[in-house]
Amino acid sequence: MKGIWLCWGAVFRVKLAEMMAYRSHFALSMLLLIAGDLAVPLVTLLVYSSGASFPGWSLYEALLVQAVFVLAKGIAFPFFFGMVGTTLSQVREGTFDLLLLKPRPVMLMSMLNGFDPDDFGRLLSGGVLFGYALSGIAAPGAGDWLRFMLLFLASISILFAMSLFLSGLLFRWVGSSRVFDIFDAVTSFGMYPGTIYSKTLSNMLTYVLPIGLIAFVPAAALLGREGWGALWALASAAGIVGVSMLYWNAMLKNYSSAGG
Amino acid sequence: MSRLFAMIRAIGFVTYKEWAAFRTHMLASLLVGPVLFLVQVFIWQAMFVGKETINGLTFQQMLTYFGVVTLIHYITFDFADWNLQMLVRSGKFVTFALRPLPHWLFALAQKIGHRSLALGVEVLPVMLLFIFLFGVDLMPASPGWAAISILLSFLMNFFINYCVGLTAFWLVRAEGIRRVFLLLKDISAGVFLPLSFFPEVLQKILFFLPFQFITYLPTRVYIGDYELAGVSLTMAEAVGLQAAAVAVTAGLALWLYHLAMKRFTGVGV
Repeated sequence: MKGIWLCWGAVFRVKLAEMMAYRSHFALSMLLLIAGDLAVPLVTLLVYSSGASFPGWSLYEALLVQAVFVLAKGIAFPFFFGMVGTTLSQVREGTFDLLLLKPRPVMLMSMLNGFDPDDFGRLLSGGVLFGYALSGIAAPGAGDWLRFMLLFLASISILFAMSLFLSGLLFRWVGSSRVFDIFDAVTSFGMYPGTIYSKTLSNMLTYVLPIGLIAFVPAAALLGREGWGALWALASAAGIVGVSMLYWNAMLKNYSSAGG
Repeated sequence: MSRLFAMIRAIGFVTYKEWAAFRTHMLASLLVGPVLFLVQVFIWQAMFVGKETINGLTFQQMLTYFGVVTLIHYITFDFADWNLQMLVRSGKFVTFALRPLPHWLFALAQKIGHRSLALGVEVLPVMLLFIFLFGVDLMPASPGWAAISILLSFLMNFFINYCVGLTAFWLVRAEGIRRVFLLLKDISAGVFLPLSFFPEVLQKILFFLPFQFITYLPTRVYIGDYELAGVSLTMAEAVGLQAAAVAVTAGLALWLYHLAMKRFTGVGV
């Protein structure tokens, strides 16, 4: 475990030094991520300003769902989602072999390689949006906070599993940057209150492809709309993480490199 | 002139064949486009509960708006900015500086080839899915004006993106600027929401910016009703305004290109 932390520390220092070599790029990238993540909430704000709304959801409640989504991405993207981008480029260039030679688990090395300090901007935008959304709702109780935090763990786990699925896919679908579009499209269901979907789709998004767990379920828990029963999501998330790890390792075996 | 067209056709054809080898890259749009559209359907279905219109648009018009936005996005999609920045940063631009054809024309020819492939692989299948799966009315109000407007949008998107790409001649690493600009472009073009939803003051600003001519104006022309910042235009007026804006942007892009060429230095150039 100590070795892993040392690796994280070393990677963090190197990436930060790299960013400082292109400071304006770093600042602009942070700005972009903040602006980019606030685009959907801005749309929500404009729509609500026009008099329309999601039935049963006030503006602040709808924004809370989107804030939780951005917060989850703010943790997932810098720490492990970058592995999708690095797998994409390294498999295409053939440099993924270098990770196989290192004396650490390949999955960990892939994650470390994808570590991106730029993405902490999302955490900032998520935090600001979360604070703003909270300012417009009744203060949640201690039980609501506890349920939220546990479900937020499930949310991070789902994003972790998704990064493994997408990254694993890139061992076969070499060099396709469309995986990011697929991720954005599929997860866009999770940025809105789950009650707007049909019953069948809503069940699918909760039990089959648990996109709803990324933001809607944790936000609903914080709003007191979900009881302790919602914590089943933790088991579900753990199961999905397990499956995604098996999938990633199976796909890694398909990686043939330049040597065949 | 015929030699120039032959060159453009040859470059376009090579790009078409090159990208045809990576069909699955474009075919992913058959999943991405309809999924994003499905989300819009649910969002607006919920929003329209108990309402006939929102901001003057009915539910069907709203779906048509987002359907047309998606199709226009696929038709006019452009990455000239990324490509040019990559060429400048890697030094590969030097090979283009030596060719008897300006790079901007080469890039435009590449775009024509790339998007010609997209017509069959992305645009048509997604359009059919929208019509038959979602029941969206995608019949243009005035097919002639809609076609001209989309063609102008194609050029507008290219020239704007090319201007962004040209910043690479002045900046060491322009990726950040490119991404910030593209996001603002999408918001200001009406990709996320019709511009008529923006506050009045912002609408007035957006009316004078070139971005509405990429998505918002061609979409409204396609629907057959243009209105922004309290200004209503007939189809002919809207397309005429768009043509003037494209001409100004093209002029700006060519001027910037001229300045960039004067600034550019490379081995043997």
